[in-house]
Amino acid sequence: MAARRIELMLCTGTGCVAGGAFRIKQALEEEIARHGLPDEVSLVATGCNGFCGQGPLLVALPEKIFYGWLKTEDIPFLVQEHFLKGRPVQKLMFTPPEKKEPIPLLGDIPFFNKQMLLVLRNKGLIDPEKIEDYLARDGYAALEKVLTSMSPEDVIEEITKSGLRGRGGAGFPTGVKWKVCRNELKTPKYVICNCDEGDPGAYMDRSVFESDPHAVIEGQTIAGYAIGAAHGYIYVRSEYPLAIKRMQIALDQAQEYGLLGENILGTGFSFDLEIREGSGAFVCGEETSLIHSIEGKSPEPRQRPPFPAQVGIWGCPTVINNVETLANVPIIVTRGAEWYSQIGTATSKGTKIFSLVGKINNTGLIEVPMGITLREIVYEIGGGIPGNKQFKAVQTGGPSGGCIPNSLIDLPIDYESLKEVGSMMGSGGMIVMDEDTCMVDVSKFFIQFTNDESCGKCTVCRDGSDALLEVLTRITEGQGMSGDMEFLEELGLAIKDGSMCGLGQTLPNPVLSTLKYFRDEYEAHITEKRCPAKVCKNLIAYWIDPQLCQACLICHRECPAESIYGEKQMVHVIDQNKCTKCGTCLDVCPPRFSAVKKLSGEPVPAVERGIKVERKKKPARPEQEKVQV
Amino acid sequence: MLSEQSLNPRIGAALVVGGGIGGMQAALDLAAGGIKVYLVDSRPAIGGVMAQLDKTFPTNDCAMCTMAPRLVEIGRHRDIEILTLSDVQSIRGQPGNFHVTVKKRPRFVNETKCTGCGTCVANCPVRNDVQPLDVPRVELEPAYRDKVAEIVRRHRERHGPLMPILQEVNTAFNYFPASVLSYIAQETGYPFSHVYRIATFYNAFSVVPRGKFVINVCMGTTCYVRGSQRLMERFSDTLKIKPEETSPDLLFTLKAVRCIGCCGLAPAAMVGDTVYGKLTVKEVSGIANKYRGANGHGQTHAG
Repeated sequence: MAARRIELMLCTGTGCVAGGAFRIKQALEEEIARHGLPDEVSLVATGCNGFCGQGPLLVALPEKIFYGWLKTEDIPFLVQEHFLKGRPVQKLMFTPPEKKEPIPLLGDIPFFNKQMLLVLRNKGLIDPEKIEDYLARDGYAALEKVLTSMSPEDVIEEITKSGLRGRGGAGFPTGVKWKVCRNELKTPKYVICNCDEGDPGAYMDRSVFESDPHAVIEGQTIAGYAIGAAHGYIYVRSEYPLAIKRMQIALDQAQEYGLLGENILGTGFSFDLEIREGSGAFVCGEETSLIHSIEGKSPEPRQRPPFPAQVGIWGCPTVINNVETLANVPIIVTRGAEWYSQIGTATSKGTKIFSLVGKINNTGLIEVPMGITLREIVYEIGGGIPGNKQFKAVQTGGPSGGCIPNSLIDLPIDYESLKEVGSMMGSGGMIVMDEDTCMVDVSKFFIQFTNDESCGKCTVCRDGSDALLEVLTRITEGQGMSGDMEFLEELGLAIKDGSMCGLGQTLPNPVLSTLKYFRDEYEAHITEKRCPAKVCKNLIAYWIDPQLCQACLICHRECPAESIYGEKQMVHVIDQNKCTKCGTCLDVCPPRFSAVKKLSGEPVPAVERGIKVERKKKPARPEQEKVQV
Repeated sequence: MLSEQSLNPRIGAALVVGGGIGGMQAALDLAAGGIKVYLVDSRPAIGGVMAQLDKTFPTNDCAMCTMAPRLVEIGRHRDIEILTLSDVQSIRGQPGNFHVTVKKRPRFVNETKCTGCGTCVANCPVRNDVQPLDVPRVELEPAYRDKVAEIVRRHRERHGPLMPILQEVNTAFNYFPASVLSYIAQETGYPFSHVYRIATFYNAFSVVPRGKFVINVCMGTTCYVRGSQRLMERFSDTLKIKPEETSPDLLFTLKAVRCIGCCGLAPAAMVGDTVYGKLTVKEVSGIANKYRGANGHGQTHAG
């Protein structure tokens, strides 16, 4: 491919596709053709760029100019100004909130420049549907090195030395797992890639599949060589159609290039891979459940030992690794265990991908070295909390994890430190919560989830989560009783002790950690019948401030319960008996009035109907800012 | 005045019906009080359901640890007589003096002599003769026949065929008609109960018909924190169905889904393969109308 003057890297991860990336792509192609630029400007549809909150987005090489929030209407202007006339368009660049000056270059944006890209080294730089792109970035070099110059024992030794630990959550050393499996006498052996990413709030595995599927294939093939397997499965959840499609394309291409299948690279080593889909069951992310699911058995976990590395799928030794773990393997092989083990902390090596989401300015996927502090992630990479709200907690580890409060914001993140504070690494979801998030409601949410997803095999998990949910629901409905908190704690610990698999053993974590760090919120719900974050419906009321209401009639019109009295010139009043607390009035009340308030734990001040509105002076309309070009 | 009861002398024996953990404890307590106890159970052995449990709620005690001492004690107790394979036929009398008729079902081993060595089981010539019922072969309705047969044929020889078959059938018909499940069981050799168990375990499967458009509202943590609960309520109001229900015209099914991995777009919903991100409550009716009006050519949507 001839070098082009400008190369456009358009993100086509699920997030951006939902935002219309394919329509942008079409518009770009049309505009580029219209200006006769196809020889000078090339367009690459890449996988997920990571900065999902800015999607749809594109990066213009060679300068790496970052454009976000693209709309099809912007495209003609963009093509004409930048790609034809060479004047980058400022209004489409990334501007940090509360600042005026845009940051043109990707490398200067704090979201990107604090990251360390190992697993995601190819994100946004290659077309995931073209194996040539991966090969051009030293793809499959590790596989070649392994097959031509290393024995399986060497590979295991190298991985063990690197200190790589399972990225699925529990952090079991990968090299040890491989060694156990290699030493089993029974054949055949299998490698399974676990992409049943069920943790709500985590999507790094999907992103790796969508942006760099060959890295996983390469890692898994190396794993197969190391343990002596000839067949592997890729288990993907069916909620990820794009990931499945791209992985299938990648498998076909690898097969075509002789990098998968019989006699790989002429070395006599054969290995093939097959995709198996899940069908929406959280428990299938647990390794023994996953095996049962592929086998067509009822997907319940079983007692370990024997571990899958000893007795796995079809009764044969099986290594199950997470997507991110496998994607780490090629780079460890190419750059060496020594180099890899210098990154990170004493016990946790390398990098970890987190999905930084929730109440945060810069949402997206980030890859950071282990040992980074929460403060760096939230305030430097994440750019802080939107709307100047107060940071409250970070939830990590999905439904198995816990909430880390503001007081622990300088915590360096690795497997051990997270465990110590009552959370866990999990698959890497990092959900930021601000003052508007009710911690009791959040723990109720997680218990609802685990209660739904419990397979029902262990009584403590099945009925214990029911009991937790009942009490939590009662508390959020304002029916909490003294002794509830102690009960939750005692029951939580019992569930931890009595469950067989990871789901049950960790499901009380959200409750226990919020009880530990946010006890005052529970107390407010139970004793004062007040929800400090004003979330729990039974404990709040909506009220229109008669001093602020300008009688615009919008809330009166929009209220689905017809509970708002309103007339021209008259202060609107919510009928508390009819109000369903849907919050529509708060949404529609124009921000310049902000007359609708949420109240909790205090009596709703009575407002009589028929009070005349106090007219305020119209604030002068802010002059429209000139669009800078 | 003397009551009728006090005229009748009490008899020093009690009958406990049911040899589960409760019955066993009752028998022991009575016997400890010096009363002769008859412990009746309709099964061949006492122990009941608890004998099948690993642990018990809420204390997580090991079931067998609770039971075993009681089993031994009852077996040894001179004042407790165990009547297994027995049914209570009638009870007459009043408190203090009952007449109970117990029917002992036939048994072919003399319990007083049996040592439980198991030789008879090992040597019984008919023990493995399974006599299957005459089950008529399942024939599929024409609407499903070709498609399902083709799917089954394609996957039957695979290692672990059940999931791929169920997935494809589910995609093709949006749910599993009862006859199709029976057919799959018959063709793959899995018991129907197993196929049904799998078909009802996963969230993506359904055994009742679902709408042409399945609206999956993401209830992942991020979406939840960003207010997807309210989206769900609005969808529910707009479509006039509750979550997990299907509209009567079979057009819509409303579902809560656990994270579709679009956390950057929270709150999000997915219809078919199309993701709608950064949704607000106001956009809900527009989405519903789009699918209601047109035949639903899936289109992406800017947030």
